[in-house]
Amino acid sequence: MNELLTLTGLGLFSMIAEIFNFRKAIFPVIVLGLLGLLGLCYMDWGSYNSTVTHFSMMKVDNFSIAFTSVLTATALFWFMMSRSFFEDQTSMSDHFSLVLFALTGAFCLTSFTNITMLFLGVEVLSLPVYVLTGSRKRDVASNEASFKYFLMGSFASAVFLFGTAFIYGATGSFNLENIATYLSTQPQLSPLFLVGLLLMLSAMAFKVGAAPFHFWTPDVYEGAPTIVTAFMSTIVKTAAVAAFFRLFYLSFSGIHGEYADIIWAMAALTMVVGNVIAAAQNNVKRILAYSSVGHAGFMLITILVMNDFAAKSLLYYTAAYSAAGIAAFLVLYLVGSANNGETPLNAFDGLVKRNPIMAGTMTMALLSMAGIPPLAGFFAKYFIFVSAVENGYIGLVVIAILSSLVGVYYYFKIIIAMFFGKPDNLPTYFLTPIHRFLLLFVAAIIVLTGLFPDFVMGLMTI
Amino acid sequence: MISQYLFYFLSFVSVMSALMVVFSKNPVYSVLFLILTFFSIAGHYFLLNAQFLGMVHIIVYAGAIMVLFLYVIMMLNLNKEDEPGTTTMSKIAATISGGILMLVLVAATRSVHGMESPVADSSQIGSIENLGKVLFAENGFLLPFEISSILFLASMVGAVFLSKKEIR
Amino acid sequence: MILLQSLNSSRDFLPILLMFIVAAGFVSFVMVVTQWLGPKHKSKVKADSFECGIEQIGNARSPFSIKYFLVAILFVLFDVEVIFMYPWAVNFKSLGAIGMFEMFTFIAFLLIGFFYILKKGALKWD
Repeated sequence: MNELLTLTGLGLFSMIAEIFNFRKAIFPVIVLGLLGLLGLCYMDWGSYNSTVTHFSMMKVDNFSIAFTSVLTATALFWFMMSRSFFEDQTSMSDHFSLVLFALTGAFCLTSFTNITMLFLGVEVLSLPVYVLTGSRKRDVASNEASFKYFLMGSFASAVFLFGTAFIYGATGSFNLENIATYLSTQPQLSPLFLVGLLLMLSAMAFKVGAAPFHFWTPDVYEGAPTIVTAFMSTIVKTAAVAAFFRLFYLSFSGIHGEYADIIWAMAALTMVVGNVIAAAQNNVKRILAYSSVGHAGFMLITILVMNDFAAKSLLYYTAAYSAAGIAAFLVLYLVGSANNGETPLNAFDGLVKRNPIMAGTMTMALLSMAGIPPLAGFFAKYFIFVSAVENGYIGLVVIAILSSLVGVYYYFKIIIAMFFGKPDNLPTYFLTPIHRFLLLFVAAIIVLTGLFPDFVMGLMTI
Repeated sequence: MISQYLFYFLSFVSVMSALMVVFSKNPVYSVLFLILTFFSIAGHYFLLNAQFLGMVHIIVYAGAIMVLFLYVIMMLNLNKEDEPGTTTMSKIAATISGGILMLVLVAATRSVHGMESPVADSSQIGSIENLGKVLFAENGFLLPFEISSILFLASMVGAVFLSKKEIR
Repeated sequence: MILLQSLNSSRDFLPILLMFIVAAGFVSFVMVVTQWLGPKHKSKVKADSFECGIEQIGNARSPFSIKYFLVAILFVLFDVEVIFMYPWAVNFKSLGAIGMFEMFTFIAFLLIGFFYILKKGALKWD
């Protein structure tokens, strides 16, 4: 609750800062605020009372604190990487406040106990992202991406509301605990409830970008400014998956058998589609977009398994993926901005000679996403596979391993270009101190969380 | 009895006008049919004892939102007839998937007949007074109400940001 | 009376319904009657759109400025805000000081938004 208030305050501050000519103060205040948020999370951790609900709408528990911390840390890195996005004087406070409001929505998504809060969180998160996607107003690709995302996103929200209405009709409540109680006391499920469940499942699958609801992802990720793409593939994805997990964990886990097959098929399809199509792409931004679809598939496995260990491995996976995503998109952004915003594969040729830090961190991030030991991504996948095998989903794990092998192929395509490509007329890069620090720091995080996986997993000891 | 006839009448009107929204070639006609759809849905709200929602639906949707729709149509350039047609393949795919969804929904709602409603039915359930009590109660929907103001703020900033000219 | 009873709870709205029927009936009656009674002279000049007597130039469907849209969308936002105040006003007494505080928080948020809009010059028509 305090986290939410702090973030709202930060958003309001950056909205009015422009009027009072505090423009210079916004960035430091936000960084301090986010550090303060991490402090708040740390203070809450272990000292919260899990029986207290805030206005019967939110509950602070291990799950919410852990994901809030991951989101806050990612947001901190994201703000550090995207200084240049906020340089334009006229739209500076707009950009800042939109991002902060989106984060407020993301925080609602980690701690809701009521479907109303879930819906509002999804909307508060998506609406600023629709706008930010179209923030390059003169660029047709950006406009198209924004419009596509907006139309599809509002359609998904409508489907979500439709499902909510069915579930309310069957159970008479929006409260997740009441729904869980209803499910455990009901001898036979109402068909209304099942339809509502199906519609909600589809809407949430859209929000995390899982196949067959992934069609918006590549176009939107490609058209949006790279900085915003980084936001979408790290923070939005983490928050959406966390919300998906929390919704099903708190309310629907009692009828796991009813929807397990759907999620099984969805996860398998998402992994295969994301990774196979990514292998056929030649634009690095598009490769990363499809790979983010693939990663959503791996995350869906945790929703299928649905136990405490799955929650932990989801946390670890999102943390590892966010760190790698921040690094990869920062390098992508730097390469793209020196190349008129274009990011074909050959723009990465010989990056190692042009800027070893960028090439090194990018390699680290890509290897982590591919799941090469001993980096964070390997253990993230490993934990998910272990939990899936323990629960008897061996077929799904086989599919997951095969599709991550495909993943290794296209991640190595980029790495090979960086190390063995011949740079003809390509610029060398000079990093600002903040970017240099960020790249090295994130690379260190990727290695360290890989070496000490228990640290992140331990964040959510229940 | 009368409410039942009213229900069928309103349903007929709303379904038909919703179909006309989709099938009209002229977007202005679509918007006018959409207004009709909104009015008939407001009628449904009244039948379900949600009087306040019905009124709000007319004020906001049929009034304000439709003006937005008309503005959007005015902003589009409708002179050119270069709207790309959808391919037969995608039409077939859309029909099949839409049909499957309809099948599921109809099958689900058919079997509900005679089911007991989990929510107590009373004529005053949707009155402004009861709505306010639920909306502003500490254990009601107070937090979503306050969060919705953040949603408003975000959309305000977004609208201003997208439509303001950049200073170049 | 039977009719009223069978409408059970929505009977309070019968006057409104009657009003609608009367209004729609009157409009359609007048439209039919004018068609039937009035003399008809059709000519191209008469069917033209009227622009202060000057011959019309160009096409009526030119794209509008986005400023209209901005004003309209901001109107909708504040319109929805005001709608939240109806249920609050009805329960004003029973909600007491806490209700007052709740609504003031909400309005304060939106006032900040309004301030922002004014300062950004979003409503300026330069």
